[in-house]
Amino acid sequence: MSVRQAPTYQQGAPERTIDDDSDVEEEALANDYREQVGYSNGDEYDLDRSASLGGGLQDLQAQLVNAATPLEYGATLDVKIHSYESYCNLFDYILNSDGPVDIEMPSYFWAWEAIDEFIYQFNSFCSYRQRLAYQQSTTSANEEEVAILRENPSTWECYSVLNVLYSLIQRSQITEQLAARKRDEDPTPFAGKYGSRSLYQMLGYFSIIGLLRVHCLLGDFSLALKTLDDIELNKKAMFARVMAANFTTYYYVGFSYMMMHRYADALRAFSHILVYVSRTKNFQKGAQYDSISKKNDQMYALVAICVAFYPTRLDDTIHTALREKYGEQLTRMQRGGPEALPIFEELFRSACPKFINPTAPDFDNPQINVDPTEHQVAIFMEEVKNNMYSPTVRSYLKLYTTMDLTKLAGFLEVDADTLRSWLLVTNSDQDKSDIVKVDFLRVM
Amino acid sequence: MGVAFDLCPDRPDAIDQILNGLNRYNPETTTIFQDYVASQCENQTYDCYANLALLKLYQFNPHLSKDDTVTNILVKSLTVFPSADFGLCLSLLPPYVLAAKEKSSGPPSSGSIAEAVQHLSVLHRLLNNAQYAEFWSTLDGDDLYADLVADVQGFEEIMKIRIAVVVSQCMQEVERRVLEQWLNLNGAKFDTFVKEICGWNVDESMVKIPLNKENEARGTVVRENVKFDQFSRMVKRAYEQPA
Repeated sequence: MSVRQAPTYQQGAPERTIDDDSDVEEEALANDYREQVGYSNGDEYDLDRSASLGGGLQDLQAQLVNAATPLEYGATLDVKIHSYESYCNLFDYILNSDGPVDIEMPSYFWAWEAIDEFIYQFNSFCSYRQRLAYQQSTTSANEEEVAILRENPSTWECYSVLNVLYSLIQRSQITEQLAARKRDEDPTPFAGKYGSRSLYQMLGYFSIIGLLRVHCLLGDFSLALKTLDDIELNKKAMFARVMAANFTTYYYVGFSYMMMHRYADALRAFSHILVYVSRTKNFQKGAQYDSISKKNDQMYALVAICVAFYPTRLDDTIHTALREKYGEQLTRMQRGGPEALPIFEELFRSACPKFINPTAPDFDNPQINVDPTEHQVAIFMEEVKNNMYSPTVRSYLKLYTTMDLTKLAGFLEVDADTLRSWLLVTNSDQDKSDIVKVDFLRVM
Repeated sequence: MGVAFDLCPDRPDAIDQILNGLNRYNPETTTIFQDYVASQCENQTYDCYANLALLKLYQFNPHLSKDDTVTNILVKSLTVFPSADFGLCLSLLPPYVLAAKEKSSGPPSSGSIAEAVQHLSVLHRLLNNAQYAEFWSTLDGDDLYADLVADVQGFEEIMKIRIAVVVSQCMQEVERRVLEQWLNLNGAKFDTFVKEICGWNVDESMVKIPLNKENEARGTVVRENVKFDQFSRMVKRAYEQPA
């Protein structure tokens, strides 16, 4: 069998540049070809592939570029699975070679783009698999794909994705380096023989941000934030130099805070980055800016939600933009009551990340493979329902300093017991509301 | 700033080490965490961050998941309402436990984890809506609840104290009749609890709660601290030559 032809074919391919679309297509073709040859002869194929990694320099560069390049829209399942294998091989080569490998990064942004794409593919693969498993019962799902997924439960496995990220962090000793930097010391002595190379340093650093993202996707918001313990969130942070990384970090930090009901902190995170974007957008024309503009809108939606929960003063630029984008929704959310619920849900759905399950879905029980996003929406909406009447109560609290409980109950058209509960809810979490503790509580 | 969310002064060193290392993903640590949950239930301590780590292990290894431990963790997180802990625990549970109730497929089968979680969610909702009287009647109204909270030592006592804390943060005076319902206590027991444990004054029909940091009326002052560093650019500009 012509297993050996596969790498040769690839090596013969012209050197790629990132922006050259036709080459990406060619690469997909090459992948496809290699796969077809490879499947009949699994083991030998694997061996050969890893050997080819260490081989030609050109080939390696192609692998690197590939790792940072998005898959084509509508890529087939085979391509997705194969892409996973390529990542495994590449990271295995970087992590487990004899000593640090000497590779030139194709671009300054490469490390971020590779980690970003790696997690993005993981995320969309998991969502796709989950959806397919769930739809099995209702529609005529693609039987062939279901069969492939059944047979490969360990493709894009969560443990191995985490393993890659943690290993990159450990190898690069980035935590030690960041700790030194925090103490205002020179990080170099802590870097070790891997971490002193910029390839490892960058990969390690962006893996921390990758972990933040993966934990958040899995619904573990406290661990997500804990991951960033070593990173200083300020303009001097390393990620601030890569706009997309900067943006992603604040989105997930803010979102995690929001899910932990720490709205003030969430708002601080969102405001920081949104102000930054609005001030620099004139310099950020082009592709990089386009890709963040969707996330930009998502963050404004989250800001609207947080402000509805936690009325606060916003930066003027953000306030104006918020009114422009979500003015009507914000007014309705701030009015509270049951009519506001659909708005909260709609905004949350449009702005939340695509949550995933860490394990492969249960193909034998399609109905239990509920979309994890639905789960998080349900949890979030529960919190919204609890605070549904707070805005209404608050509007009266602003007006009065002393009033009879029954009188206020009359205004709100509820009985005194219900109102007592509303007041307790409105007042009980100081972190949530900075509302004035009014005098009239005494008449109770 | 408040206390860090992962801080727990009572946490044993061994647990702390696992939490800070990669062993937190090791399925073999599941039993250690399970024992730790059991000890929290017994000794009336609470460590949310460690419990979330166990739920995460269950999330990754569903076959290891123990329903009893999951419900115990949820019950423990109720004892610190109105914090976000209950929701954070739910976020790590498999999605089908909540979804069943929204479908028309009827209530989840009895004895299932979904049934238990949904029952506890009802308690959580009542607590967070400050419907304490309903909370007690719901708790007493279904035998399932008795089973669910059985492992958590002194659950009712803890809840009474927790409710008292929330009340003390928001009120200066409350009718005796109302507070009796909220605490599910009356007569001499009520007097003892309110006077001795809370240290509040009770007269005929009113309970007076001494002023504390949370319940006094005060205006909010918005203050922003700006460091000199943040102005450095502006100062620098002032010295620059005009272009």
